Amino acid sequence: MTYGMTLGHDEIPHIDTFIYMSMLHSSNMGKAIIARGLTKYYGDLLAVDHISFDVEEGEFFGFLGPNGAGKTTTIRMLTGVSMPSEGSATIMGFDIVKQPVEAKGLMGIVPDISNVYEELTAWDNLIFTGKLYGVPKAKREERAAGLLRLFNLYERRGERIRGFSRGMKRKVCIAMALMNDSKVLFLDEPTSGLDVDSVLEIRRLVRELNRDGLTIFLTTHNLEEASQLCDRIAIINRGKIVAIDTPERLRHVMRGVQSVEVAFKAASKDVEEGLKALRGVSSLQKLGDKYRLYTDDPSTVLQEVFTYSKMVGLTPISINTLGPSLEDVFLKLTGREMEREIPRGPEMDGIRMGRRGGDG
Amino acid sequence: MGRASIWDELQRAWAITVKDMRIYYLRPASIMFGILFPLTLFLSFTVGRNMPPERLVPILAAQTVFWASSSIGPVAIPLERRLKTFDRYLSAPISLTSVLFGKILAGVIYGLAVSTLSLAVGIAIYGASKINIPIIMFSLALSSLGFSAFGIMFASIPWESPGEVMMPMNFVRIPLLFISGLFIPLENLPMLGQAVAFISPLTHTLDLLKLGLGSNSFFGIATNISMLILFTTLFIGMSTLFHRKTMKKE
Repeated sequence: MTYGMTLGHDEIPHIDTFIYMSMLHSSNMGKAIIARGLTKYYGDLLAVDHISFDVEEGEFFGFLGPNGAGKTTTIRMLTGVSMPSEGSATIMGFDIVKQPVEAKGLMGIVPDISNVYEELTAWDNLIFTGKLYGVPKAKREERAAGLLRLFNLYERRGERIRGFSRGMKRKVCIAMALMNDSKVLFLDEPTSGLDVDSVLEIRRLVRELNRDGLTIFLTTHNLEEASQLCDRIAIINRGKIVAIDTPERLRHVMRGVQSVEVAFKAASKDVEEGLKALRGVSSLQKLGDKYRLYTDDPSTVLQEVFTYSKMVGLTPISINTLGPSLEDVFLKLTGREMEREIPRGPEMDGIRMGRRGGDG
Repeated sequence: MGRASIWDELQRAWAITVKDMRIYYLRPASIMFGILFPLTLFLSFTVGRNMPPERLVPILAAQTVFWASSSIGPVAIPLERRLKTFDRYLSAPISLTSVLFGKILAGVIYGLAVSTLSLAVGIAIYGASKINIPIIMFSLALSSLGFSAFGIMFASIPWESPGEVMMPMNFVRIPLLFISGLFIPLENLPMLGQAVAFISPLTHTLDLLKLGLGSNSFFGIATNISMLILFTTLFIGMSTLFHRKTMKKE
């Protein structure tokens, strides 16, 4: 894997080892991650409840859920930081409990906080990681330089991390996770708490890494992020996986949940009651100055809205028909609302959760 | 990537040691508990008391190796826990034993450096009737290993600030000073006092250093070495156990 630069090549294994490995892995060919009945108890609390899933090699897999759903616990078990109470997991065919050194050698981890050594420089952080993963000296220096260039940090390689912004620390953290030429990259809430530019840049980088063949396991509570990046999404709630599918198919499943969103120039308090009583409206939600009317028949509701607004003398300033968002899917499946990120500007539309396309 | 050889593991452990040396040696808590505290204790105990150098110098060296070696782990590990950098080791292709070995080695080098320096200064100021360098260096090396492992054992309990580790550890470290023949020579202790002193690793460090500086070992060199090896093994074993329990629990 080159990640857009020359990072050297893995040694060719001895032929016996190769045959043995092939036999060993034949049943799980193409699977980067296999989790079977993975369970974690914290005392009496069941944090992760017998979850099973596969991630294909080269796949961008999203693990979506609200805070406390079990996302980080799952990632900690998959990466060998925490021992599962029950069940098993393999990374590229290696059992994380029984063959931890082999499994860990093939993965890179970016945890939910940037766990970099702030007293060290960006260069030293990468070199230390290379040493920890047993990367030979020449290769680790070549790789560190390549990754710092890729992440636009090469010019600042000699500076201590302490003076870096959050976004830069995050990029160093991702670069550290790639020092061992990892085959599977675990990203735990990689853009959480970052400014817009950093979010967009990190998304672009991970997309490129995935395009180059890297398997990515992303945990997030940001539906839009998961929708934009992932090939497939697993939704976890209260320790259980409630759905696994592509973002589009998850939306498709929820075809029934459609809505018409309308905003008026000046609306009195009675409007809410009036709209709720319209034919075809199953429920209503007031969102700022907009009214979202849920329905399984948007065209009828549209006509009803126009008729009603003429009748009471209201001037509509915007009307949109909306398809189901991943948020709707999530709500339907879990009965819980996703955490919303604080909007920071108009360009955040693509980043904050809950944005929907007007697919009618 | 295949299974790591012992040499690979040693190299990775050494990388942890070097990184810890760069980050934690000059931390205020390391200097406070590793250098200033034993020095202050030594001065408060010796100033104004007319003690022979063959008693003073071993006490100085034993105290400094004890405090310095056991202070690095309790500074490094809780901070790394809080900043989640400790997770880097747990998710890296290196065994827990090698991680702990790397951490222990950082304490060993700190303890050896501080105690060797204090020993040299002590000998220069107070003098010494006889100096057996191999025995002195061996006793300092073995003791620093044991005391560093002692510090790591306390740091392996999942606390997230050095203060949380240092407090309970000092509840053990300070009493050890009183039962290990530093303030009252072992010869002058009652039978029960000698029995209690026997189960303190610091007693055996002091005993070995006395031997290296021209006095006799009270319990005998073989006993001293055996006890220090036994304590080191116990501390490393306990550290590993605590970490494994934490990994199961967290």
